[in-house]
Amino acid sequence: MNKLLFDIRLALRRLRKSPGFALIVVVTLAFGIGANTAIFTLVQAILLRTLPVAAPSQLYRVGDNNQCCVDGGYPEDASKTGDFSIFSFDLFQHLKQSAPEFEQLAAMQAGIWDWTVRRGSELAKSLHGEFVSGNYFSTLGVGAYEGRLFAESDDTPSAAPALVLSYQGWQGEYAGDPAIVGSTIYVQSKPFTVIGIAPRGFFGDRVTDTPPDFWVPIQTEPYVEAGQSILHNAESHWLYLLGRVKPGTNIAELQAKLTVSLRQWLWSRPNMVANGGSALIPRQHVVLTPAGGGIQILQNDTGKGLTLLMILSTVVLLIACANIANLMLARATTRRGEIALRAALGAARPRILREIFLESAVLASIGGLVGLAVAYGGSHLILALAFPDAQFMPISANPSPAVLAFAFIVSLVTAILFGAAPAWLSFHAQPAEALRGVGRGTHDRSSLPQKSLVVFQAALSVVLLAGAMLLTKSLANLENQNYGVVTTNRYVLRFDEQGAGYTLDRLPVLYREIQDRFNALPGIASASLAEYSPLQGENWSECVIQQGHAAPRQGEDCNSTWNRVDPQFLNSIGVPILRGRGFTDQDTNATPQVAIVNQAFVKKFFPNQDPIGQHFGIDRPKYSGSFEIVGVFRDFMMNLQYSRGQVHPVFLRPMVQQFMGFTEPDLVRMETRSMFANAMILDFQTPPPNVDALVRDTLAGIDPNLTVQSLRAFQAQLAGNFDQERLVARLTGLFGLLALILASVGLYGVMSYFVAQRRAEVGVRMALGATRASVVSMVMRGAFGQILIGIALGVPAALVAGHYMSSQLFEVHGYDPFSLACAVAVLAVCAAIAGFIPARRAASIDPMKALRIE
Amino acid sequence: MIELKNVERSYKNGHTETWVLRRISLTVKEGEFVTVMGPSGAGKSSLLNVLALLDDGWLGEYWFGETPVHTLNRRQRADLARQRIGMVFQSYHLLDDLTVAENIDLPLSYKNLPAKVRQGMVADILDRFQIVAKKDLFPSQLSGGQQQLVGIARAVVHAPALLLADEPTGNLHSTQAREIMELFCELNRQGTTIIQVTHSEENAHYSKRIVELHDGWLTRDEPVAERTTEVGAK
Repeated sequence: MNKLLFDIRLALRRLRKSPGFALIVVVTLAFGIGANTAIFTLVQAILLRTLPVAAPSQLYRVGDNNQCCVDGGYPEDASKTGDFSIFSFDLFQHLKQSAPEFEQLAAMQAGIWDWTVRRGSELAKSLHGEFVSGNYFSTLGVGAYEGRLFAESDDTPSAAPALVLSYQGWQGEYAGDPAIVGSTIYVQSKPFTVIGIAPRGFFGDRVTDTPPDFWVPIQTEPYVEAGQSILHNAESHWLYLLGRVKPGTNIAELQAKLTVSLRQWLWSRPNMVANGGSALIPRQHVVLTPAGGGIQILQNDTGKGLTLLMILSTVVLLIACANIANLMLARATTRRGEIALRAALGAARPRILREIFLESAVLASIGGLVGLAVAYGGSHLILALAFPDAQFMPISANPSPAVLAFAFIVSLVTAILFGAAPAWLSFHAQPAEALRGVGRGTHDRSSLPQKSLVVFQAALSVVLLAGAMLLTKSLANLENQNYGVVTTNRYVLRFDEQGAGYTLDRLPVLYREIQDRFNALPGIASASLAEYSPLQGENWSECVIQQGHAAPRQGEDCNSTWNRVDPQFLNSIGVPILRGRGFTDQDTNATPQVAIVNQAFVKKFFPNQDPIGQHFGIDRPKYSGSFEIVGVFRDFMMNLQYSRGQVHPVFLRPMVQQFMGFTEPDLVRMETRSMFANAMILDFQTPPPNVDALVRDTLAGIDPNLTVQSLRAFQAQLAGNFDQERLVARLTGLFGLLALILASVGLYGVMSYFVAQRRAEVGVRMALGATRASVVSMVMRGAFGQILIGIALGVPAALVAGHYMSSQLFEVHGYDPFSLACAVAVLAVCAAIAGFIPARRAASIDPMKALRIE
Repeated sequence: MIELKNVERSYKNGHTETWVLRRISLTVKEGEFVTVMGPSGAGKSSLLNVLALLDDGWLGEYWFGETPVHTLNRRQRADLARQRIGMVFQSYHLLDDLTVAENIDLPLSYKNLPAKVRQGMVADILDRFQIVAKKDLFPSQLSGGQQQLVGIARAVVHAPALLLADEPTGNLHSTQAREIMELFCELNRQGTTIIQVTHSEENAHYSKRIVELHDGWLTRDEPVAERTTEVGAK
């Protein structure tokens, strides 16, 4: 034990004597291990984690895609591929009854919405809420933290409206007030009784940056939504299904059974059979997916990016390992004489090996510890970058025991690897030769592995740098594409007047007051209302039918995005009218129903025709003459989720013009719901410094119950569409930079070692007439030789990597010559700098001194 | 050919200054073969470094022919050394990774000579030193004497006016040492001015003049008595 302590002390003393070496090794290790551990922390927290529920392995989801949030008729994926993943309440009940293999089958809202919530006389606030079936909590197997959770009896039409708060919502929004249980909370102005609080740590059925603050039973939907309810519309799909299967259930058989049941239900629905729907039914199916990790929306969104980052961080670790191995080799070579002396003085090889491995272990331990700190900070930073708007993320960025074990194993492996190099050299050292100074000749056996490691590092750096360039270019292409809107000095305010209790009849007055108040703000150019703002990630989409045309067949692409806007809307986003006219204040219920359309709409629905004066309608032929096109505006992108790089057809309708001709409940509901403006675009000439307070105060001045769901710059809203891409591009760039630094340090180390080892040779050459330039050139040739081989190996590898990354690239090819050339150029410049410093040192060698030392 | 006037050299070590050459005045005529002797630390190698233009930190005057070396900058001194001086080292200093021919070519490669000319010069010297058969061998494949032979060939391949040798036989056994000294005599006969540093009285007697240093001072400068057959036959 004493010997061990002595050896550790000796190792620490030796490292203290070489602080530069120790620092470089520790920092290199810290970044290598830190980057990996940070990414692994997120992989574990997002991709590998299970819900904090009982026996998560028994949970299965009916469905496998993330279609959201309300879809009528055949959901988009179902009409294209037959993959049914989102269900109506009626279909949920049908499937539940037909599959007793489920101990329980629960339903939950596909989209988590922002609702206006008020308690007593407190000001209303915007909270995330979710409709769930009465057996939701019992299916997941969680108990109450306080009070009780839902029972099936809470989810009946006659049940008293009940609400369960999440622990986070209770703590964050109600300061953990114990009196909340049993009290009344108003959701969308409807009273609910808080019956309990969900357990601490439970965040719902999915990992998301907007976990629910509360849950309410599905059957309270008509109560909350009043005339706009979709609960009893059998063809409105808005629920995800998640169940707990009975032990021993054959999943494949259950999946087949559910598929049969789905088709039976579809055959029983006339609307699903009509217009060619019967031809789609044989293709319809469900896929059962393990749901221990919950609904995999975030996992699907981030999975590819995280996997890519995991691969890239592993590459960084490999480069770091190569770097340290290189440094250790150099150190081992310079210590060869010392080791030989120890051997000559009687040290046994095991003792020498122990010393060598202890030194490596000490270094690796320090590097691992610092790496953990890097990982801790790194994973928090990555989370903040990935979800910049998240108020609460149910993801812990703190390294878990598994992550700690991962970091420990990586440190251990690196220690063994690093120790192996000097150990190998010590085994092969001939004490007599080493003492005679044979090892100080101009020939060095260890230089080949060192050079090979630099080549390896250079090759990997090219791959990382090229990848970073590709992703950065792709991100720049995404961000700088022509959206068709002006975002400068614009802000987007989202609010919820429906939640504040406003009804249709009160809207015109409210809108007028909002416009008057906001148009009077200092520095405002225009304030416009819309149902949705462009690029916010949500929009309506309906099937357009031109006047006189037959009903489109099921699955036929007849969709157009649509929105309700006021007369200032186009002006406030900088979109011009190209033909006809825009909306005016005269477009009201008292005047003919009008619409304006974009160029893509004209191209799709009225090709080679004059669109002005044409009529169209939605969903059913009988409405095909409902709206008259009075103007055409320039294309702009309403939503990027489904239309990357291409503009979808868009039609706009006046904010206050309601079509009273719909007779079907779902269309009436949609028409009513669409009358509520959810967004306001504020176009400032010069934004005042206190925009946030100014806007909030102005809205509260109109009605304190009008809650601000969000307020951010239009540019930030646009940028928010690329958070994932930006994260991956930034991290890849960071990894590329790390790789570049490590490779440069590696090259610098090798070339410095080369110069130190060849000091005598350089002295001889200079004594024989070599100029400084020729010495610099000699060293630089050596450096570039390694880098060139690295580039030669790295370029094909980068091409292969580009091929595999191409699905994540936008308007940039996986084989982009510019990115490759940049990667090569950056590496070459860094290599030139890394090589030039030791080259210059070599050229400064005093031949007299060099020869005297020899 | 060489004239040193009051050359001095010292090294600073902390607060102390150690003088290794004290007011050295020395004239070496063209075609001379001079031996520099003295005990360890006397300043022999320092003097050789000054003469080889490897050292710039000395004081005094140094004339190389008509050239005032003391007025030249480092670059000009390096040019002069490249053109006019050849060096032979005690531990040969051959480059392990280069063959015999490549080692000999090394000083030529630092001059702007066409490759063909260099090849011819290397071939000539290989022939002259009778080491043609060894031209493709690496230093590690040669004996110590052979390595020094290559070292000398390398030093004289560009026909320097002055050949400086620092303990050229220090690592060789006596037979090899004699061969090397005979070679020096032959080169001297052909017109090369040689200055060697040695501890060996026997080697010194191959030269025509001995200068001796003690603690940096030049304490002896006298011609060598005619070598006897006995010495030469040893």
